[in-house]
Amino acid sequence: MPRLQKTVAARPRTATVIGALLALAAMLFSAAGAAAAPADTPAATAAAAGSAQPAAAPSSLSGKTFVIGTDTTFAPFEFRDAGGELTGIDMDIIREIATNQGFAVEIKSLGFNAALQALSSNQVDGVIAGMSITEPRKQIYDFSDPYFESGVQMAVAKSNTDIKGYEDLKGKTVTAKTGSEGETFAKSIADKYGFTVKSLDQSATMYELVKSGNAVAVFDDYPVLAYGISQNNGLKAVSEKEKGGSYGFAVNKGQNPELLKAFNTGLAELKSSGKYQEILDKYLKDPTQAAESSFWDLLANSFPALMKGLGNTVLVTAISFALAMLIGLFMGFLKISTSVVLRGIATTFVSIFRGTPLLVWAFFFYFGIPQLTGQPIDIWVAGVLTLSLNAGAYITEIVRGSIQSVDPGQLEASRSLGLGYAKSMQKVVVPQAFKIMTPSLINQLIIMLKDSSLLLAIGFAELLYQGQQIYAGNFRITETLLIVAVMYFVVIMLLTKLANVADKRFNK
Amino acid sequence: MSTAVTAPSKISVKELTKSFGSNQVLKGINAQVAEGEVVCVIGPSGSGKSTFLRCLNKLEDITGGHVTVDGFDVTDPKVDINEVRRHIGMVFQHFNLFPHMSVIENIMLAPVESKKQGRDEARASALKLLERVGLAEKADARPASLSGGQKQRVAIARALAMNPDIMLFDEATSALDPEMVGEVLQVIKDLARDGMTMVLVTHEMGFAREVADRVLFMADGVICEQGRPEDLFGNPQQQRTRDFLSKVL
Repeated sequence: MPRLQKTVAARPRTATVIGALLALAAMLFSAAGAAAAPADTPAATAAAAGSAQPAAAPSSLSGKTFVIGTDTTFAPFEFRDAGGELTGIDMDIIREIATNQGFAVEIKSLGFNAALQALSSNQVDGVIAGMSITEPRKQIYDFSDPYFESGVQMAVAKSNTDIKGYEDLKGKTVTAKTGSEGETFAKSIADKYGFTVKSLDQSATMYELVKSGNAVAVFDDYPVLAYGISQNNGLKAVSEKEKGGSYGFAVNKGQNPELLKAFNTGLAELKSSGKYQEILDKYLKDPTQAAESSFWDLLANSFPALMKGLGNTVLVTAISFALAMLIGLFMGFLKISTSVVLRGIATTFVSIFRGTPLLVWAFFFYFGIPQLTGQPIDIWVAGVLTLSLNAGAYITEIVRGSIQSVDPGQLEASRSLGLGYAKSMQKVVVPQAFKIMTPSLINQLIIMLKDSSLLLAIGFAELLYQGQQIYAGNFRITETLLIVAVMYFVVIMLLTKLANVADKRFNK
Repeated sequence: MSTAVTAPSKISVKELTKSFGSNQVLKGINAQVAEGEVVCVIGPSGSGKSTFLRCLNKLEDITGGHVTVDGFDVTDPKVDINEVRRHIGMVFQHFNLFPHMSVIENIMLAPVESKKQGRDEARASALKLLERVGLAEKADARPASLSGGQKQRVAIARALAMNPDIMLFDEATSALDPEMVGEVLQVIKDLARDGMTMVLVTHEMGFAREVADRVLFMADGVICEQGRPEDLFGNPQQQRTRDFLSKVL
């Protein structure tokens, strides 16, 4: 497969698009650096800057702690188990080697690009993230001996007996992950075998596509596919592994040579002791692990992580809504002011935040602001800013509309009694406006609670994000999403009831 | 009421003009109202009656001319308009009671908030006012539960709570069912008897004839004719006055 070997670009997931996305990725992620850790690893984040750069230890590494950067979710190399703990082949290997060589590791789950960025700026000592060893990367990092041989493999639904090889794909649709080696390979043989490739961006959703029959086969990285099959994802592999890249552990060029040496020594010892194969088997072979578990087991296992996500969802919504109310009231009053300038400020504010997608602002606050200021921004701050400014724009209009829908005679009557404008608004107009706006505000609150799920795009550990983390590990996408949906539904039901009770009590 | 001519002037209007955009609604109004005098303003709709009334407490910005009320120059931009308004009670066609407050809270609002009266004192005065308009038993009712006539009597009590020197009535009975007009007019008559200086924009010609010391007939933004009610109604001098009266009487 000469073509496959030509795709030097690395790590399967990011292979072909790396060139095209390089500029964008650099912009989005560069300054994020250490800040890109998911919200649920505060300890790791806090330890970031202060972590020691171990001076080249002349003798032993024992007692030293190295900070190791990794991806957020790339099962089976790194992912969170149902309890939210970081696990996977990479994690087991680095921890075993650390134990073997007598040093300690502190894992920082940063995301792939952010981890490399952190390595370049010496914020972490090493990176292990299912990363292919490539020539361009060798120019800037020092790699260990390869610890894993990857490659592309094809799988079909378990019940499918028609597709046994590439020649059976004529006229069919297959799926592969956007920008991955699997996609590159599938496209390279698509014309020869007469099939079409439909690209998706998550392994879990690709497998669902195959199981649902919308695609007959999936081309994915061998380890990812093998892990999915071991987790009973409903697929079976039907082709041999195509030759692919080798994964290595990396340190910054010329830095931490003793760590690299210890890794190689430790890896060799794990291989000779059989521990290495044990780790691979744990994730790639053993189909009984986490298998055959019922829906209730899934529920019980994932509940703690989902509840944590729900807690974050509710908290970020509560804080953001309080802030959005302040913004909305303030801007709403500007909107009805007699000053053209003040009205202009409010109108501009509303146009900007109502006229642009929430996601754009999430990316801007979390990735853009640190780049402009040089200061990393806390993910909570970015999340709250995003939600509150967006909802603030809508609440501005709700406030304006409600105030304007109070009979102007009310203000006149109050003013004719000698009450000033502010007093009249406070005592006469705004209380009536509140009554009018309450149903719209409840509506806005519910929309915000659901919109908070968009913050998963910046790695904010809210409910849907936690759900994704779970099904990325166990491939039970439908059941996990069902649980997530029920949790949202219950919370929103309760919230609606509560809001209606409050409305009745305060606006009788 | 016959003392009106010699009493000092409570309201003085000189060359008052008012435009909404390019539309001039008041085209130079000159009028005096003496202390204790009751003046009714009549005229066809669109003649500027209500606008004239609303200029007296500056609910409308004044375009030109001078308005002096109770010693305050209303047209002076430096005058504290809230202070001026505390001396002028106003009653609206649509009552404009505050629906989120009880009847007595409606009446207490201004004394508590702008005169800084204690709540107990304000409540006692408000109850007295409610007795005066015959609605003491409705003190804790919500405005929505009242009839139109009752609402307007509460609105009058609310305007009186600030002890105004002047009362303005903007078509106070126009939105009422006919059987309720009488109870409101009775309250206004009582006020007249007590010597309140009042300006009323009204369509009740019979009432104007009975209660007014003087009647102003407005047409097309000017005061067309004025005089004692028996003269204006009995022997109108202007053709426009005669035309108007022939339609409404």
